[in-house]
Amino acid sequence: MDDVATKIIDILKKHMKEPRDDIGLTTALTDLKIESLDLAMIVFDIEDSFGIQIPYNANEEVEDFKTVGSVVDRVKALLEGSGAPAKA
Amino acid sequence: MTQSKGERRRVVVTGVGAVTPIGLDAREMWSSMREGRCGVGPIETFDKKDLYIHIAAEIKNFDPAKHVSSKKVQYGDRYSWFAARSAEEAWKQAGLPTPLADPYRSACIFGSGAGGFNTIETAYDDLFIKQKKATNPLTLLRIIGSSAAAHIGIEQGIKGPTFATCSACSTATHAIATGADYIRHGLVDVAVTGASEAVLTHGSLRTWQAMRVLSPEGCFPFSKKRNGTVLGEGAGALVLESLEHAQARGATILAELKGVGMSSDSKDMVNPDVDGPRTAMEFALADAGLKPEDIGYLNAHGTATTLNDVNESNAIKMVFGDYAYKLPISSTKSMTGHLLGAGGAVEAIACIKALQDGWLPPTVGLDEPDPKCDLDYIPNVGRAAKVSNVMSNSFAFGGLNAVLIFGQPPA
Repeated sequence: MDDVATKIIDILKKHMKEPRDDIGLTTALTDLKIESLDLAMIVFDIEDSFGIQIPYNANEEVEDFKTVGSVVDRVKALLEGSGAPAKA
Repeated sequence: MTQSKGERRRVVVTGVGAVTPIGLDAREMWSSMREGRCGVGPIETFDKKDLYIHIAAEIKNFDPAKHVSSKKVQYGDRYSWFAARSAEEAWKQAGLPTPLADPYRSACIFGSGAGGFNTIETAYDDLFIKQKKATNPLTLLRIIGSSAAAHIGIEQGIKGPTFATCSACSTATHAIATGADYIRHGLVDVAVTGASEAVLTHGSLRTWQAMRVLSPEGCFPFSKKRNGTVLGEGAGALVLESLEHAQARGATILAELKGVGMSSDSKDMVNPDVDGPRTAMEFALADAGLKPEDIGYLNAHGTATTLNDVNESNAIKMVFGDYAYKLPISSTKSMTGHLLGAGGAVEAIACIKALQDGWLPPTVGLDEPDPKCDLDYIPNVGRAAKVSNVMSNSFAFGGLNAVLIFGQPPA
């Protein structure tokens, strides 16, 4: 796992009530018992850590926020500056 | 279980006043609702830099010099301007003298979710960006969450209990409920109640944006396409009176405030629970001594967030059973935007107008309902219907629920 993924998993664990050590790229966010406000906090933390802005709306189910891997891909795309804005 | 027991006086509404994105008084607001006019539009009154939410329901044509009669209030925050204007309108409609013969028999319970947010932002800009040596001397008074209540109390000569409520989006409804309680139990004869909100600022939008609950497209309650709420601003005021007091002075009674129900989810700051809203509606029915079938219209909280609208619809089904599918329901937030703390008062006024006018306001922008929201939300076009009793729901962050039931004036 690369630096971006490790950093994101660390952020996820920080916001979980019961952090687990078995989080991988295929882990679904719904399996992590993350509620809507937690996700807003996580997105904020990721934005802050990587210096990017993620157009995420808690009212929508966005593909980019299905699994840990999809979040990692999204962040990488934004870091490369090639990411089209996610459906907000 | 009911919340309120024992001997009590009946409470009636004798005046209403509103300042909203779709009208600067209650009459104009109601005629906009009759036309299905929506007050949501592109943000024009402040800097949109770094915002990705570009819409709100702003009040764009409000001039304190023109719309606020008191010089003292003109020195206050924008939220106090809206408050004082709506309260003066309601007081005038009630036809009450200023001050009352016994000013200690009147109350002013007028809330705000956030108080003087515009003032806070200006002050911080002065201090931290412009590096000024001091804030404007009126900054503190403008910010205080009770300054609107105090201004109204001063203007109308109210010397009884005067304070603000604060419960996010249930603020106004809690204020109205508290005023009604004071009248029922004989503490006062008259109460000016309601709430005001003016948080449409750059900094405020940034905080809402960070919570990820705002829609970039529009406020579409119960719709499949809904993707968040839209912030609005404004105020609503109701003059409540004991029935005897109103009758003794020959006042025109607009409606009776028949029932109040309050509860707290006691669970989560953002995720609503079905039992809290359900219980608040049940308490209100029990308090009014009415059956679910007696309610002819329900003004829903209907914020257009994914969570609220499904949860509220489920709670309504639990309270109203099969009748839920026949009960006309609408969210007037589809037209006013979400007025936050002030929403409950403006929506109570829409309920009273519906009773008076025999016409139920629509939920605009509802072309395709969410399959999980399968009740009658009066889509897009309002409808004529003579109703005897109406219910107004307010649910707030933190799971703070308050429900009002209004009925036709006593015969």
